[in-house]
Amino acid sequence: MLAKGVKRPHGEMEGGDLEPRDPGAAPASSLFNISMVKLHQSLRHVEPNLRHLVLVANTLRRMQDQMQREAGGPMAPDSPEALSVVDSPAPVSDLRDSGLEPCRQPPSDSQGDDLLLSSMDSSISTILEDLGQVEVLSPTRPEEEQPLAGASGARQEPARTSAPCLGPLELLSSASYLLEDGLEDIFEDIDTSMYDCDLWSPTSLSGFKAFSSAEDSDSKALAGAEDRLDMSDLDYLMDVLVGGHAL
Amino acid sequence: MTFTSPQKIVLRVLYLKTNKNWSDIISTVEFNHTGELLATGDKGGRVVIFQREPESKNEPYNQGEYNVYSTFQSHEPEFDYLKSLEIEEKINKIKWLPQQNAAHSLLSTNDKTIKLWKVTERDKRPEGYNLKDEEGKLKDLSTVTSLQVPVLKPMDLMVEVTPRRIFANGHTYHVNSISVNSDCETYMSADDLRINLWHLAITDRSFNIVDIKPANMEDLTEVITASEFHPHHCNLFVYSSSKGSLRLCDMRASALCDKHSKLFEEPEDPSNRSFFSEIISSVSDVKFSHSGRYMLTRDYLTVKVWDLNMETKPIETYQVHDYLRSKLCSLYENDCIFDKFECAWNGSDSVIMTGAYNNFFRMFDRNTKRDVTLEASRESSKPRAILKPRRVCVGGKRRKDDISVDSLDFTKKILHTAWHPTENIIAIAATNNLYIFQDKVNSEMH
Repeated sequence: MLAKGVKRPHGEMEGGDLEPRDPGAAPASSLFNISMVKLHQSLRHVEPNLRHLVLVANTLRRMQDQMQREAGGPMAPDSPEALSVVDSPAPVSDLRDSGLEPCRQPPSDSQGDDLLLSSMDSSISTILEDLGQVEVLSPTRPEEEQPLAGASGARQEPARTSAPCLGPLELLSSASYLLEDGLEDIFEDIDTSMYDCDLWSPTSLSGFKAFSSAEDSDSKALAGAEDRLDMSDLDYLMDVLVGGHAL
Repeated sequence: MTFTSPQKIVLRVLYLKTNKNWSDIISTVEFNHTGELLATGDKGGRVVIFQREPESKNEPYNQGEYNVYSTFQSHEPEFDYLKSLEIEEKINKIKWLPQQNAAHSLLSTNDKTIKLWKVTERDKRPEGYNLKDEEGKLKDLSTVTSLQVPVLKPMDLMVEVTPRRIFANGHTYHVNSISVNSDCETYMSADDLRINLWHLAITDRSFNIVDIKPANMEDLTEVITASEFHPHHCNLFVYSSSKGSLRLCDMRASALCDKHSKLFEEPEDPSNRSFFSEIISSVSDVKFSHSGRYMLTRDYLTVKVWDLNMETKPIETYQVHDYLRSKLCSLYENDCIFDKFECAWNGSDSVIMTGAYNNFFRMFDRNTKRDVTLEASRESSKPRAILKPRRVCVGGKRRKDDISVDSLDFTKKILHTAWHPTENIIAIAATNNLYIFQDKVNSEMH
């Protein structure tokens, strides 16, 4: 794409090796990897940018479809509903064996794929754990967490057409961010006098800072409120405080 | 305005406004209905309002400069303790209300909360109170021997901005658009999955008119990207989606407008199909024409004009920067492909404008089909200098002053632009600089 004799300026946008004329012919596996990383990064946020997330997930779905179409026939779409956040390495190597051009890659990349996929498994598990901590008060969904932990490299069956994309969105469904309807019930039995304190006003950021500097006196106030608050609530609140103080 | 064929589009820099203290990135720009005021919002939650000076016959070059009229902090950063996250104070959108009395009103919104601000002027103050002295202290009654009538004396103009309404807790997701209805009583706010209808006087209640949240979030494949009320029909509004479709809804049809009245969608071009087809078709902005007959949409590579009477495809498509089509991989990698550019109509709906990279912005004349690329940068914008058309070359013959595609600076993006409602004055936000340009030839619309 460069004009003859024109040097590419230093610090120009990256991806020189990803600039074929037809973007569709780029190595699908590296695009796939990039997309998975993006999805992962998106999910790290407590409130992910939904548009970004949805577009990346849909793009992943497209790539998945493409890869499977080229592998020869669509996969069965009605596999069990269990989560598989990441694709198992097996299908990728299957495609490679069949020598399809878009997915062809040097053998060393399979290692990278495995590492990426397994590291993503653990990252997604961590994220879920964090979400679970944040939502100490929201109903847990153990059936979703279990298959997640067991997904790393264990699956040998062909991936579902939308498997890697559904997983993150299923995570979303358990995020308190989206459970706005259930929040009122959750707080029914909590004494809200703690929240009426001016220091806790969400609109006063300086108030929050003042709180964290006056920890000593206020931790005593917290101790007094222990009787009324659940221990897990207290842990969460302390995490927030400690986290805020460290900022 | 004469953008007719023999004449090239020429724009003169009327007023170049760069505020050195303005360390924040401008996030929205909006003229009011007369064009007398220009509001900008930034990432720090501040709103700056510019006012156009009346044209002076003595100084013909000073054709109505825009000067700072008022600055205020609209939104503060908030901390949501429940979710343990900070709510950004960045102003996503500003919309002016039509002026109904001496005061000006505007709506400003961040991700979660919409606020109604009233802007009033005070240029007189009462003097000569009987019971209070000049500083407001109570007088000793024994010193009061006669009664006087307080009189209004002129004072230095003071602009006061007060928050009149705060519309909070209406949105779970991030608000991307607000639009004031032509009835001047209601407005709507849209987030990724829902659109709410508010009454301007009522803050504790809003009506949900669109809800595309699926029962299972795992089925989520589409989000709302922009929405706007029809300029004349108070029952009609449009919203765009991340899949590139537009839905025109009629509020008379039902309370919940999940079923569109019209669906505007262009079928995917099979020859251009790629993994990124959906991302680049995602509509980042939608604007009704002033006439109300057309809609303008912006997606990643094009701007399109749609006729409300034709749902199958746009009536006009303009390429903004088609040379990026072969670079979509890189743009996907560095997330530039997700940039949301805005678009604008001129007052007579004959020219459309949108921003691009490298501080370039583009204008398309719908009648002559001519287009021009201009640059908003300090180097090329000396006061009263005429903007020179720019050209991006894609290999092949390269003229002097052409920029090659690979030299484009993708960190310099012009996402926010606005066009004066009646005159050829445009406001361009380039990161933390605001440029105001005026057409040299004619400043009135034809």
